[in-house]
Amino acid sequence: MNYNLAVPDEILLSIEKPERYIGNEVNSVTKNKADVDIRFAMCFPDVYEIGMSHLGIQILYGMFNSYEDVWCERVYSPWTDMDAVLREKDIPLFALESQDPVKDFDFLGFTLQYEMCYTNILQILDLSKIALLAKDRTWDDPIVIGGGPCTYNPEPITDFFDIFYIGEGETKYREIFDLYKKARKDGISRTDFLHECAKLQGIYVPAFYDVKYKEDGTILSMLPIYDDIPTVIYKEMCLDLNETFYPTKPVVPYIKITQDRVVLEIMRGCIRGCRFCQAGQLYKPLREKDVEHLKELAVEALNNTGYEEISLSSLSSSDYTQLPELIDFLIKSCNEKKVNISLPSLRIDAFSLDVMSKVQDVKKSSLTFAPEAGTQRMRDVINKGLTEEDILRGSHEAFLGGWNKVKLYFMLGLPTETDEDILGIGDIANKVAVEYFETVPKEKRNGRTIDIVASTSFFVPKPFTPFQWAPMNTKEEFLDKADKTRKGIMSQLNQKHIKYNWHEADASMMEGVLARGDRRLNEVILKAYKKGCIFDAWGEYFHFDIWMETFKECGIDPFFYTTRERADDEIFPWDIINCGVTKAFLLREWKTALSGKKSSNCRQQCLGCGAASYGVGVCFKERT
Amino acid sequence: MNRLRLKFSKNGPIKFIGHLDVMRYFQKAIRRAEIDIKYSEGFSPHQVISFAQPLSVGATSDGEYMDMTVNSMKSVSDVMNRLNAVMNEGIEILAIKELGEREEKAMTAAYAAKYRIRFRNSLKPDFDWINEFEAYLKKDKLSAMKKTKSGEKEIDMKPLIFEYNIDKEDESVDLLLSMSSAATLKPALLFGAFFNSLNKELSTNALDVHRIDIYRYMEDGETKYIEPFITDDINTRFILNG
Repeated sequence: MNYNLAVPDEILLSIEKPERYIGNEVNSVTKNKADVDIRFAMCFPDVYEIGMSHLGIQILYGMFNSYEDVWCERVYSPWTDMDAVLREKDIPLFALESQDPVKDFDFLGFTLQYEMCYTNILQILDLSKIALLAKDRTWDDPIVIGGGPCTYNPEPITDFFDIFYIGEGETKYREIFDLYKKARKDGISRTDFLHECAKLQGIYVPAFYDVKYKEDGTILSMLPIYDDIPTVIYKEMCLDLNETFYPTKPVVPYIKITQDRVVLEIMRGCIRGCRFCQAGQLYKPLREKDVEHLKELAVEALNNTGYEEISLSSLSSSDYTQLPELIDFLIKSCNEKKVNISLPSLRIDAFSLDVMSKVQDVKKSSLTFAPEAGTQRMRDVINKGLTEEDILRGSHEAFLGGWNKVKLYFMLGLPTETDEDILGIGDIANKVAVEYFETVPKEKRNGRTIDIVASTSFFVPKPFTPFQWAPMNTKEEFLDKADKTRKGIMSQLNQKHIKYNWHEADASMMEGVLARGDRRLNEVILKAYKKGCIFDAWGEYFHFDIWMETFKECGIDPFFYTTRERADDEIFPWDIINCGVTKAFLLREWKTALSGKKSSNCRQQCLGCGAASYGVGVCFKERT
Repeated sequence: MNRLRLKFSKNGPIKFIGHLDVMRYFQKAIRRAEIDIKYSEGFSPHQVISFAQPLSVGATSDGEYMDMTVNSMKSVSDVMNRLNAVMNEGIEILAIKELGEREEKAMTAAYAAKYRIRFRNSLKPDFDWINEFEAYLKKDKLSAMKKTKSGEKEIDMKPLIFEYNIDKEDESVDLLLSMSSAATLKPALLFGAFFNSLNKELSTNALDVHRIDIYRYMEDGETKYIEPFITDDINTRFILNG
């Protein structure tokens, strides 16, 4: 145990949740720093409860610490109260395990899960007293490395990172560590070390690429400044998920966190190809883990953590071919241990309802459908397979089983959307209510009734999706659409059974700018941070006015990144990266979408997206 | 089925873990140790465990108590070994005693607690607090305003202090204070009133509180006394007057 905390007791007692900063959790790893060559600070740039819930960090934390020469520790964003104290008392930001300053580490890794965390990266660097700009760093600073979904378009934050690791983290770090050890031993320069890294597959050192723009502001070229580094960076991927490291001793926090349970990742990738979904493209092809392997992992992780709940994790768990066997096993072994099973992302059908009735309190739990759009036409455009019939049939069976709460998720602002699609949202919600009243006769309702929550989010086009060409709506259009949705719901016969929620439009617009942004945004992010922007993902701390003011000061039009219609042959900032699917495929899908046609999923028919080049997964399985 | 009472310590950074999180910590530790714990009935069964008295965040202890019911066990020492094998440093199971069937829960049987009070180094008072405190404790009546559900009321703390021992060299005070459903005196209330009596204000979080043990009430013929929940040392007994 580390008795020497970086922050004095009386300060810890004066701030919210001191447990965020004291480390020493069950399964956290402490090593003797004299015994290791590499100290790695792994950061999720958000508050502890969010960051600790992230599976990716637990994987890399466990894997790095399994290396004898590496000690990996964790860092999260100090909440605003702690942030103020650290600045006022001039206490440098520290890692949780050793409580040593982050600046003393060899590497500082960030996982970038959403765009709205970008100012928090600067907070971490700033509090750690690490030079904010990569070009100002020396060997006295850690190597700052970014990974995670946002690094598939890292251009808006290239100034702050030495390295971006593109793809799944399990494959290349060992090589990077070995290069680092050799570099320090040989006494070569930091730039030379980065140059060596840039030769590895999946490694993008943005400083070594020169971007030229056309007069209209779009990109003319992005070219390497050395001829021995790649012109396109291919994502790294685990070829066999049964052989790769999986953490069966994850760190167990003291305080309640967002994902407070054992997380069992059952597969990566998705066969569905929803056209708005970035994850569906980035993690292709679908690779399943073997069910026997998963059984072992589940038992081990439960024994090592003492958690009372286990959750299956994947993009679409119903598509896991050995799901019945896995769930059967879990129900049996979890019942003995009084462990709960949580099953997110299951398609609602007879099988899942049967399973859910065994593992949940039907009266308390709710059904979740994500039709994403209000009409079949719109759902065909986005290639969302769910039909109205699926929803009503699923609801019918669920109502028979005793459920009476339904959550419906939709998006507003999808390409080609019309008023009819928007009004369709209220229509579906109403039909679900009607289904309830028709399925459950009055005498069987026992004073209960149907309870529907319809939520809409505003569609943000993302890189590496067929919709990367699509113009995004303005804030005004979004709010107008939310209003139409609300009115549409209000006009329904069963409107009093339907509650409607919608998201903030300002934050969606900002996310849209950052998602498809280019290098010119680095300046805006840096300035906005210096003006106090931080925790932008938290509504109460998001200052849209400051952001807009900063765009103006930097002479940058934010709408260039959002509402602009992109030409088919435009060079995108993220074209420097290859995530496995080709741009030709995405363009084909974009055109198919505009013609209102669906595409097959990977198990039905290969669409030739390009991911088969990795030589594994669903691409090489028999089709149905 | 066996009812067990565990004595445990809470030291080091773990002192910042709040009471509810300590409960959650033990629920997980009991699973990791594969103790055959009894669960309550119902749709969401929970472990049958309860704690004597929450400890304030920031305070350390060498005498916390938890009661638990197990369906089966090899031996008391096996339970202790299993739990200690999965404990975090800072929390240690110090002793386990098997309870009689009719014995009261620690929560209701708690009667007093012994504390060792110091000041945190950076927040030490700028006056000779230890001698002043000694003089203060000798007063006939020690008034304090105690917060209640319906506002504040004045209480006399004197009868709630069973025993004290001042170590001037160590700059610490040991206090045996009432801690029961009828009357509980917390060190912070006593020190706050002490500071007020000198027209000073106790700065928040200045007290470094260490709980030494929790006591229960016992009678032996005519003698009424209190003693730590688990003890084999007769010298730890404190005879109550009358």
